[in-house]
Amino acid sequence: MANKGMNLCRVCCLLLYVISAVLAGRDFYKILGVSKSASIRDIKKAYRKLALQLHPDRNPDDPKAQDKFADLGAAYEVLSDEEKRKQYDKYGEDGLKEGHHSSHNDIFSSFFGDFGFMFGGNRQQQDKNIPRGNDIVLDLEVTLEEVYSGNFVEVVRNKPIAKEAPGKRKCNCRQEMRTTQLGPGRFQMTQETVCDECPNVKLVNEERTLEVEIEQGVRDETEYPFIGEGEPHIDGEPGDLRFRIKVLKHPVFERRGDDLYTNVTISLVEALVGFEMDVIHLDGHKVHIVRDKITRPGARMWKKGEGLPNFDNINIRGSLIITFDVDFPQTQLDEQQKDGIRGLLKQDSVQKVYNGLQGY
Amino acid sequence: MEIIAAVRVVVKSLLFVLLWSNGDGKDSEHSYVTCGSLVKLLNTRHDVRLHSHDVKYGSGSGQQSVTGVESADDANSYWQIRGKPKYPCQRGTAIKCGQSIRITHMKTGRNLHTHHFSSPLSNNQEVSAFGENGEGDDLDVWAVQCEGLHWERDEAVRFKHVGTDVFLSVTGEQYGHPIRGQREVHGMSSPNQHNWWRTMEGVFIQPSQEPLRHDEL
Repeated sequence: MANKGMNLCRVCCLLLYVISAVLAGRDFYKILGVSKSASIRDIKKAYRKLALQLHPDRNPDDPKAQDKFADLGAAYEVLSDEEKRKQYDKYGEDGLKEGHHSSHNDIFSSFFGDFGFMFGGNRQQQDKNIPRGNDIVLDLEVTLEEVYSGNFVEVVRNKPIAKEAPGKRKCNCRQEMRTTQLGPGRFQMTQETVCDECPNVKLVNEERTLEVEIEQGVRDETEYPFIGEGEPHIDGEPGDLRFRIKVLKHPVFERRGDDLYTNVTISLVEALVGFEMDVIHLDGHKVHIVRDKITRPGARMWKKGEGLPNFDNINIRGSLIITFDVDFPQTQLDEQQKDGIRGLLKQDSVQKVYNGLQGY
Repeated sequence: MEIIAAVRVVVKSLLFVLLWSNGDGKDSEHSYVTCGSLVKLLNTRHDVRLHSHDVKYGSGSGQQSVTGVESADDANSYWQIRGKPKYPCQRGTAIKCGQSIRITHMKTGRNLHTHHFSSPLSNNQEVSAFGENGEGDDLDVWAVQCEGLHWERDEAVRFKHVGTDVFLSVTGEQYGHPIRGQREVHGMSSPNQHNWWRTMEGVFIQPSQEPLRHDEL
C-alpha cells in the first residue's frame, strides 16, 4: 500500500517537473552555450560561432535544423538586449512582454551580410552573367589588445538600394548592326544603339547595423566579407563589403606569428644581484619574473603560453620572449668606489680585440 | 515585402535601443562621423559626390585627378577618414570640429591633396589625390570646419586645407572626354556656398568597448 503511494508521489513529482520545465520556456543561456553572467561580447561571439554551424543550409539532413536555428535567433535577440535580458532572467521566456517573433534573417545578416548565404563567406560562382556592383574594402585598424582578447566592431552601413519607381527605363543597351535597303540591290549597314525596356528603378538610401568580429589571434590582412553590402548595380546584384584587418604597432609588444617579443631594461645592480618584477600583459594580467643569477645584456627569457592565441585553435598560445638590456649608472665613480668595485668583483682584465661584425 | 520591411523596422529599433542601453554613459556615436569610417561626400550646392580614379591631370601637377560625379553607386567615390600623419586617431571616436584629418581615397590609397598649381578649367587651386598606401606628405591635411563639438553625419561642413588655407569647392565647370560630365573640384580661398559638403552613403564605425581586462594577482 505504502509502496503504491510512494510511486504515485514520484510520478506526480516527475509530471510536475516536466510540466514546469515545458512551461518555463526555452533556456536561452543553454542554447547559446554561455553562462548566466556572460558579457554582451561573449553572447555575440557565441551567436556568431553557432549561427555558422546551425544554419539550415549547412544541415540539410537534419529535420530539426530550422527549429534549432530559430531557437538560436530568439536566444540572441533576447540576451543581446539589456531590457529583454533582465525580464527573461526574472520571469523566463513567458515573462517577456511583446512576442519576439521577428525574422532571424536580419540578426543573421548583421553578422554576415545580406545576399543569401554562402559558406566561408565566399560568393559561389552562380551566374557569371549577372552584373555585379563594386566591392568595398575597408581597412579596419585593430590593436594588439584586441587581437589577444577579441572584440566586436559595430558599424552603420548606409547604402543605396534599388527601389521600384513609376515608368520605364532603358537597360541592357548595346551596339547592333542594322541593314537598311536603299534601293533594289543596294544596302547600307549602320551601327545603332539598341536598348531593352525595364521597369524603372531609383536609388534610395537605407541604413543597417553590422557586427564585425575581431577574432582572437586574427592575422594581419585577414578579410571579413559581408555579402551584398557593397555598391548596388541597377541591372544586377550588389557587390560585397569586406573588412580588412590591419594590426597596429604596439609600444610594448611586437608580434611574430603567435609569439610576442618585448624588451626590459634593468639596472646594472639588478643585472648582477638579481631582481623580481611583473610584466603587464595585453589583457592586464601579470607575468611574474624572478631572477637570482647574473643577467647578461641581450639575455632572453622564454615564457611559454604567454604569447597570442592561435587563430585556428585559441587554446594553443605562442610564447612571450623577453630580451634584457642593462642600464649602466649615469654618475662617474670616484677612486674609492673604483677600488671597491675591483675588490668586490675580482674579475681579471679581459681586453679581447676581435671582429664583432663578422662573428669572430 | 511588407513583412520584411516591418521586420527591418522592428530589428532596427531593437538595435537602436541596444545602442542606447549600451551607451555606458557615453553619447551614442550613431550620428557622428568617426575615425576610420568610409564615406561619400556630397557637395550640397552642386549635388555631386567627391570622386577620384586612375586618371591623371593633363596639366598642372599631372597627379591623379579628383572630380565631382553625379552617380550615387560608384565605389570610387568612397574616402576613408584618418588622422593626420604621425597622429593616428582612435578607431570609432567622433571627429571634432576643427580637427585635422586626412581623407584617403579607398580604391587607390591616395590622399586628398592640394598645392600651388592651377586647376585646368577654372584656374583655381588644383586638388589632386597623392601618395601611396595612404602615405603622402604634409599637404594631405585638411581641417573640418563645423558648428558644435563634433562632425555630425547630416551636417554641412567645410574642409579647409592646412598649409594653403583654401576650401575644398565645386563651382560647376564640367570636363569633356574621357570623364565627360564630371565636375572640377578645386581649392578656393573664400568660404562660400560652393564649399559645403555632407556625408551620404558610407560605413560608419561605432566606438568599441575596451577588450576585456583580467587584473588578477
